[in-house]
Parts: sequence; structure tokens; C-alpha cells
Amino acid sequence: MEEVDVDQEEESEASVLSGNQEATSMVPAQEFEVNPATEAREELDEDLDEEPAPESQPPEQEAEGSEKLIAPQRMISMQRDLTTLVTNIQTAADAKESMRRTELEEARRMRLERLENDVKSSQETFQEITRGWSAAKQKEVPQDLQEALNNQQQLCAAIIEDNKKLIKDLQQEMKAGDDRFVKDLRKQEEELNLLIERMENQIKTLTEAYREELAQISRVYQLESEVLLTKDKAEWEQRIKELCEEELGRSTQWKKKVEEYDAKFQNHMLETIDKDVYNQTKQNMKFQVLERHHQQKKTGKIITVLKLVKPKVEVPVQRLNLNRMKKRAVRLHIEIRNLRTKSSSENKQYTKKSQHLLEEYKHNIQQYEHIQKNIKHFAAADARQFEEMWLMMDAEVKQLVERVLVIDSLICKEHLGLAWERPPMEFMELSGPIQAQKRARMPARQGVSQLFHTGQNLQCSQRMMDLSVGPRPEADTEGMDKDMYKEGKTTQSESGAEVEEGKQSVETLKKVMELLCDEAGFLMEDKLLNLLAPLEKDEQTVLKLGSLLCSFGIEEEDVPKLAEFLLKHKHQQRDETEVRRGRDEDVCVESGESSNKEEDVKTSELINPNHILPALKSFLERHMRSRESSASQSHSFHVEAWDTSGDEAYWESMGNIISEDKVKLWDAAENTLKQYLAVLTEISELVPETQSLEQQNAELRMLLQQSLN
Amino acid sequence: MCNVMLPLFNQRTVYKNPATMSAPPGATAKDSRRLRRIIAEDPDWHLSLVPCLSNLCLQSIVRNIEEKPMFEDLSPVHKDLVQETLSTSLPLHVTANLISDGVYWKRCCEQRWDICDLAHYGHSWKRMFLERHMENVIELFIPGVTEPKTVLEMVPLCKNHVKRLDISQLLPPIKEPQKEEEEEEEEDGSKLASDNEYDGPSMDHFDFNILLNKLTQLEELHLVYRVKQCGMNFEWKMFEMTDRDCESLAKALMSCKTLKLLKLHQSHIEDTKCRLLVKYLLDHPSLRELDFSHNLIGDKGARAIGKLLTRSKLETLNMCDNNIRGPGAKAIAHALSVNSTLLSLNLRLNCLRDEGGQAIGKALLNNNTLLHLHLGANQVSGPTAIALSQALVQNNTLKSINLSCNNLGVDGGIALGEAMSHNTSVTECDIRLTEVDEQSASSIGQVVWTNQSSEQKRHARQSETK
Repeated sequence: MEEVDVDQEEESEASVLSGNQEATSMVPAQEFEVNPATEAREELDEDLDEEPAPESQPPEQEAEGSEKLIAPQRMISMQRDLTTLVTNIQTAADAKESMRRTELEEARRMRLERLENDVKSSQETFQEITRGWSAAKQKEVPQDLQEALNNQQQLCAAIIEDNKKLIKDLQQEMKAGDDRFVKDLRKQEEELNLLIERMENQIKTLTEAYREELAQISRVYQLESEVLLTKDKAEWEQRIKELCEEELGRSTQWKKKVEEYDAKFQNHMLETIDKDVYNQTKQNMKFQVLERHHQQKKTGKIITVLKLVKPKVEVPVQRLNLNRMKKRAVRLHIEIRNLRTKSSSENKQYTKKSQHLLEEYKHNIQQYEHIQKNIKHFAAADARQFEEMWLMMDAEVKQLVERVLVIDSLICKEHLGLAWERPPMEFMELSGPIQAQKRARMPARQGVSQLFHTGQNLQCSQRMMDLSVGPRPEADTEGMDKDMYKEGKTTQSESGAEVEEGKQSVETLKKVMELLCDEAGFLMEDKLLNLLAPLEKDEQTVLKLGSLLCSFGIEEEDVPKLAEFLLKHKHQQRDETEVRRGRDEDVCVESGESSNKEEDVKTSELINPNHILPALKSFLERHMRSRESSASQSHSFHVEAWDTSGDEAYWESMGNIISEDKVKLWDAAENTLKQYLAVLTEISELVPETQSLEQQNAELRMLLQQSLN
Repeated sequence: MCNVMLPLFNQRTVYKNPATMSAPPGATAKDSRRLRRIIAEDPDWHLSLVPCLSNLCLQSIVRNIEEKPMFEDLSPVHKDLVQETLSTSLPLHVTANLISDGVYWKRCCEQRWDICDLAHYGHSWKRMFLERHMENVIELFIPGVTEPKTVLEMVPLCKNHVKRLDISQLLPPIKEPQKEEEEEEEEDGSKLASDNEYDGPSMDHFDFNILLNKLTQLEELHLVYRVKQCGMNFEWKMFEMTDRDCESLAKALMSCKTLKLLKLHQSHIEDTKCRLLVKYLLDHPSLRELDFSHNLIGDKGARAIGKLLTRSKLETLNMCDNNIRGPGAKAIAHALSVNSTLLSLNLRLNCLRDEGGQAIGKALLNNNTLLHLHLGANQVSGPTAIALSQALVQNNTLKSINLSCNNLGVDGGIALGEAMSHNTSVTECDIRLTEVDEQSASSIGQVVWTNQSSEQKRHARQSETK
């Protein structure tokens, strides 16, 4: 309990040494005996003693001036000493506390020991008592027993007494402890008060000291500054005095000099002025006299001249001059007015004119623009017309060619009885530059779909042809764009081989495209695929191909190229030296029916699906290169881009569809036919004759019979 | 704004009244003499009597600040006016987040407390008011009677300003419902409380768990589990921290990540509580200063503290007036030889004896960060002095050492004096009441003196160069 009490008290952390413990401060000079409360006065006195010491020092320092450095050290030492004075109390309390703790521990140990001893001794007596009891039981004489009992009682009483004594002691100890605690409390209070007092004292002394030091410093500085000031002032005054004197001397000197020079100057001036004035007056006199003479002479002369001239000239001249002048002035005035009106009217005219011209100019510009528009329009129209003409002509010529070929075949087959072969007909496929351009402009997808549609058409047409072999009417074609296929059909209708070839090419193309679709399908978006799912397979492939080609940037025109390339790629891979067949028409034509099967075989193994992607890639690269190179040209106006050199060859090839030999042959055939015709006409002429003769004969026969009857 | 405008209109009509009364109808504009006479008729009327519209507005704002809080939008001059006129009795939830630091808070503080030392509160009146208000609320918190809500309500208002909580008392719970007037202190209330404390086994105090993790700016926490002015109702239990208190406090401390300083005085912390606290503080990210002075921490607690020293970044540790003996001191010394952050160690009024003192002396051989060491009143003697003097010869970082109230003896003094003559860093060496002979004491004083002056010169040079 006491311990905790003490813990409580520790807050105050203050207690002063009890007894004669010495608080030896660090600086041995300040060593005081700290006996609480009563000694506090002494300490204060000591503190007070300390104070005057520093107070007595300052004047010395002031006097010395240079010993300012010592001041801070003194302050530090004072600070430290006062702090130690305060903390002394704390350390003393600490020491006391630790002492007290050791004492307490010792006391506790002692108490424990004592208690133990007590326990031991009481145990012994208790044992004695118990032994006594056994002895008492053996006693038979009552007196003895009584005695033994008394003895036992005494022993018990002794134990009880011992215990009571112990308890009393302990209680006393406790009381002492309580007293001590109270005393300690009081002491601590006192110590606290002392501590506070000392702290206040410290604060006071320190503030005083600081103030003093400050005052001292300021005094020193003041003194110093005063000294300096007076010094400077004296010097300044002296200097000023010197300067003033000097200045004064100089000014007097200057004055003197000025006076001197003034006098000199005046003298000089007076002399010179006198002389000058005298000379000038003299000369002036002379001059005046001379001038007077001269003027007199001049006036005389003038008067005589005037007298002579005056009567003669004076009046008429004056009049004439005036009239003339007046007239002239009037005339000039009028002229000026006229000119002004003229100029204003002209100005007006000019502005009008310029406005008119401006309008005209505007009009012209409009006209020009109009004309330009017209030109453009006409150019376009011309181009269109030209195109149409071309196409028409082309169609016509092609029809003609077809007719020629039909005739040729007729001639060959029926007239001559020879087997007829179809001459090479690339141009029929090409059909001139216009269509190529047109097709280039057509979107790729459309082209592809067209490809498929025509493919199907071809198939149907072939089927129909199978049913009814004969020329198909040209009317059921599908429009301009499909000219190529139209032509193809017409030709097919005439030659089976041709039809076969076309179909094959389209079919291979289709197959290749389907393969491409399947292989490159991963490039498509899933959404698109989902959308396409319900459509028919052909349509699906068409749409897929369309989007694919769009994304590749390939146009419809390039589709066959692509297919060809893919096939070629395959062939190259298989064998470089192998004869390239693929879609090449000539080869197809040459190989005829036999190549048909071969073609089928090829398409089945057209190309390894695994090679499609690299092939496609390389194609795209090559294609892009060629596209870039051609791109610059393709933009130019199409009329200008017209390649006339090709035209000639084209037309020529059309013209030369019937070779010279054939022409000769045709001539020969014509001749023979003509002869034949002549014979036939003769025969035809003879026919009525014969008929009339026959009729005559019949009539005659009738008559004969009648006559006979 | 209606509230603001209404009085204005009233006033205006009042001032106009004399004019309309005196001027006859129809002849107002023409007769200038009569107009001029208006003022003469009302001798009290003067232009300066008319208050500014802005002042009227401000008055209205001040009057209606509870309904229409409006402060930030005002200009600085008007803000000052509002701060000076606003009533200090306004509820805190209106003003705390609205009024910035300034005259208003100064008025609040000065009205409530006599002593207001602004330097302790970062020169912010608002912080002072809010912190002290919070402290008051916690100090008067009675578990079981006061609603935790009363404290929690404060949190959103204070959390941006409270940086330190200095709680000087924590009331134990009471079971007496009639006790209401806490403000009038425990004079009569705690009588009842003390009567009830015998049957009420729960003595848990305010649970910091609900508070500390919400105060995001809190940096310092001073706690004392005690009751002020208990008078004759003194109870030992009033000055103790219970086990559950300890646990909840430890958890709360862990949750408060910004805490830098923790002081836990006179709260009857024994080994087990100390270990519990240390367990939760082991990985605290920001704790720099720990003060467990005036408790009952023994060797086991000291061992835990040693572990804390190796793990955390503590800079100041104050264990003064505990019950640490040799083994505990050894643990701390071991931690000291490993630690590189601790700057100050205070072991005053423990019972280290030579066993612990020597261990610390040896630890100082390996440590070069510690600046202040206090081993006063620890019953160490000569051998410790010799060990320390060995350390002092090598160590040149230690600045102050306190060995007062130990029986170092003459030999120890000589050894210390010898060591100090090789040392250049120690500027304070307290060897009062240590039985050291005067010669060595004076020599030590001399060395300390020279060290001090040299350091001062260094300081002066540094300040000059700056």
C-alpha cells in the first residue's frame, strides 16, 4: 500500500534530502548543504549573494568594453548553475526515493525473517504443548495434572502473548509508516514549494540578468555609437571649418582678381571705343558727302529722260494695254469655264463607260463560265456519245464478225464441205477499252456476284442448249455490263468447245473463290458470319467474298487475276517447268474436249488449301505494287486516256477475222456461186418456159384425148 | 434572403416617413426649399444614422446562421465582422465546419477557459477549442451512462483539427442511474459510485476503439487512467487500467495510423498489459515516441519493450519509474545494440543494478545514434561506471548522460573522468550524489564545459554561414 502511495507521490517528483545528504553539484564551487525548509532561506540568500556578483561585474565589463565575449559565458554558467540548483531538488528526491525503496525492501525482508522466526518458535512451543498433553495424560495424581495443565496454560499464554506482541509491533510499524507517509507528504509539499520558489527565483534572476545584459549591451553599443558619433562630428566640423576657410580665402581672391580684371577691361574698352567712334564718324562724313553728290547727278539724269519720253508714249500705250488685258482675261475665263464643263461631262461619261464596261465584263465572265460549263457538259456528252457509239459500233462489228464467221462456217461446211475451225477471238472477250474501264468502276462485290450469276446462267444456258441446240436469241441478255458473257453465250451457241471452255473457267474461278472463302474465313467478323448463316451457300460465299475483297482492296477486275495467280502459284510450287494451262483459253481450245476432264481433275485439286494463304499474301503484295503504279494514271480524264494505238489493232483484228486466204477462197466461192447463180437464174428463167410448154403439152394432150373421144 | 430584406424595407420606410409627411402632395419636385426642410424638421435624422446595407445583411446572416449557414462566400472584411459578432453559444455542429480559424474561436476559448496557451496548439484557436472540447467530452464520459454517440457526434466536426488529445482523467462506470450531474464533479456523485463499485465487477473505462480510427489527424495521445478530485471516495481501482481497457486501447492504437506520440502515465501497467500493448504496437507505422513512465512494468514488460525497439522506429523511449531490473535492462540493452533510430532513453528510478548498467554500457559500444541516456537512481555502482567509461571513450554521439543518485564510488568517478578526457561530444554529464571524489568531478565538469563551448562555437558558425 505504501508503495503505491509513493507512486502517487512521485508525480510531484520533488523531495528534498533528509538528513545530511549532500547535493554535490557539478560545479564544485556551488555546493550547499541542503537541509530542507529552514535551509531554503540560506539558499535564497546564497542566490541573492550570487546575484550581486554578476551585478558588480557589469561595470567592469563596461569599462573594459573588449571583454564582451565573457558575457555569454557568464550567462551560460549562470543558467546552468541555476538550473542545477532547481534540479538538485529533483535528484535529491530521486536519491531519497531510491533510498527509501531499498530501506523498504530491507524492512520487508526483516519482517519476513521475523515472521518466519516467529512461526518457528511458535511451532516449537506448540510441539512442546502437544508433548505436554501426552505427558499430562500419563499423570494420575490430580495435583500433578493440575500442574501440568497450568504449565500448558502458561505455554499457550506465552504463544498468544508472542503473537499479540508481534501484531502490536507490526501495527506500530504500520502506524509509523503512516506517520512517515504523512510526514513525507508534508516534506514533499515543502519541497515542491521550494522548487517552485527556486524556479521563480531562477526565472527572476535570469530575466533580470538578461535584461541587464541587454541593457548593458545596448549601453555599450550606445556608448560606442556615441563615441563614434562625437568623433565623427568633431571630424566633420573640423573638415567643414577648413573647407569654409579655404572657400573664403578663395572667394576673396576671386573677388580681388575680378576687380582687377574689371578695371583693366574698362580701361581697354574705353580706349578702343573712343578710337573707333572717331574713325567711324570721319568715314561716315565722307560717305555721306559722296552719296549726296551721286544722287544729285542721278536725279538730274532721270528727270531729263522722263521729260523726253513722257509726252510720246504715255496715254495710248496705257489704254491699249488695259483693253487687251481685259479681253484676254474674259476670254480666258470663258475658256476655263468651258473646259471645266467639258471635263465634268467627260468625267461622267467615263464613269458611265467604266460601269458599263464593268457590267459587260461581269456578263462576259458569266458567259465564259457558262461556256466552260457547256464545254464540260459537251465533253462529257461527247465522251458518252463516243462511248455509246463505240459500244454500238463494237456491237455491230461484233455482230458482223459473228455473221462473217457464220457465213464463213456455212461456206466452209456447206459450200466446200470442209471442217470449220473457229479463229482466235481474244478481242471478243476484251471488247475494247471502254468496257474495261466501266468494269473497273463497278464495285467488286457486284462483279463477283455477277460472276456467280453468270456462271449459273451459263450453266442454265448450257442445259437449255442441250435441250435445244441452236442459236440463242440475243435479246435475252442481261445488259451492257454483261456484254462479255453475252458474247460468250453467243459464241457458245455456235461452238460447243467454246461453251465448255467458258463454263470451265467460270467454274474453276468459282471453286477457287469458294476455297478462298473457306480458307480466309477467319478474317471475317463473327457477326457477319452469323448474319449470313440463314442464306444459301452461294449467296453466302458471294457476300463473304465481297467483304473479303473489299477489305483486301481488290476490285472485281482483279478477281480472275487472283484466281489465276492462285492457280499459278500452285503450279509453280508443283513444278516450274510444267506447261501452264489453268485458265488459258488457247490451251483450252487446243486441248478441246480432252482438256475438259483434265480441267476437272485440276479443279478438284486446284490448289492445296494450305497454300492459299501464303499465295494470297504474295498476290496482295504484288497487286498493291501494280495498283500503286497504275493509280496515278487512272485518275486522268478518260477521254484523254484513250489509247488509240490499241484501237487500231483492235479494229484491225476485227477486220482480219477473215484472212486473205479466206478472202481469196471467198472470192473463188463467190465466183463459183455467181456462176452457179447464173446457171440457176438461167434455170429459173427456163422454168416458166418449160412450165408453159408443159401446160401446152397438157392442153394438147387434153385436146388429143377429146379429139380421140 | 426574405429575412434579410424585410427589416431593410421597414427601415427605409421609417426614414422616408418624415419626407412624405412634410411634403404636400403634388408639389414635391417643384418646391426645393420644402424638400430641403425635410431634414430640418427631424433634428435627429442624419445620414450616418442609416446603417449600411451590407451591415444589415451581415446582421441578418449572423442572426440566421443556424438556418442558413453562410460564411465562405463573404469577403474577408465581412468575415471578420461575422466572426466578431457571432454568438459563442451556437451549437458546434453549425460552426465547426463553417467558421474558419479566427476571432470567433478565440472568443469561444477565452469564454470557456481562463488559461489559453496558443503555442501548444499550433497557433490555431479553432484547434485549441476543438481539442479541448473533445478532451472534455472524453473526460466526462461515463461508460454505461453516457451514450457513445455523444463522442461520435464530435468526430465529423473535429477530425480535421484534432492533432493531440491530452486526457487527464477517465471515469469508471457507475451503476447508479440517478447520478446525472457529472459537470459538478464527483464530490457527491462518486460517493454513490464508490458504493456501487464493490458489487459492479466491470471497471472498464471509455473504449477508444470507437474513436481513434476515425480521427485521421491525431498525432499525440496522452492518457492517464485516473480520477481527478476523487476526494474521500478514494479507491485504488480508480487508478488502474483494466485488462479489457488495455486490450481495447491496444487495438485502437493499432488502428490509428497517424499516431506519433503515446504517453500512458500512472495507469498501473504491469508486465502483462505492457506486453499486450507492445504486441499491438509492434508494427505501428508512425509511432516515434513512447512514454510509459510511472507504471509497474517489470522485466517481462521490459523484454517486450526491447522487442519493440528492434522492430519499430521509436526515437524516444521513457520508462522512468518502473520496476525494471537486471534481466529487463539486458533485453533493452540488447535491442539498443541493434537499434539505429532511438535518440533518447530514460530509465530513471528503476532498479537496474550493475547487471543492467553494464549491459547498457556494452550496448553503447555498438550504438551510434543514441543522444540522451538517463540512468539516474538505478542502484548501479563502480562496474557500471567503468563499462560506461569504456563506451564513452569510443562513442562520440552521446550528448547527455545522467548517472545521478547512484553509488558510483571513487573508482567509478576516476574511470569516468579518464574516459571523459577522451570524449568530445558529451555536453551534459550529471553525476550528482554519486560519491565521486571532487577531483574527478571537477575534471568531468571541465570537459563538459569545453565540449559545450566548442559546440556553441559550432552552432554560431553554422548560423553565421546560414
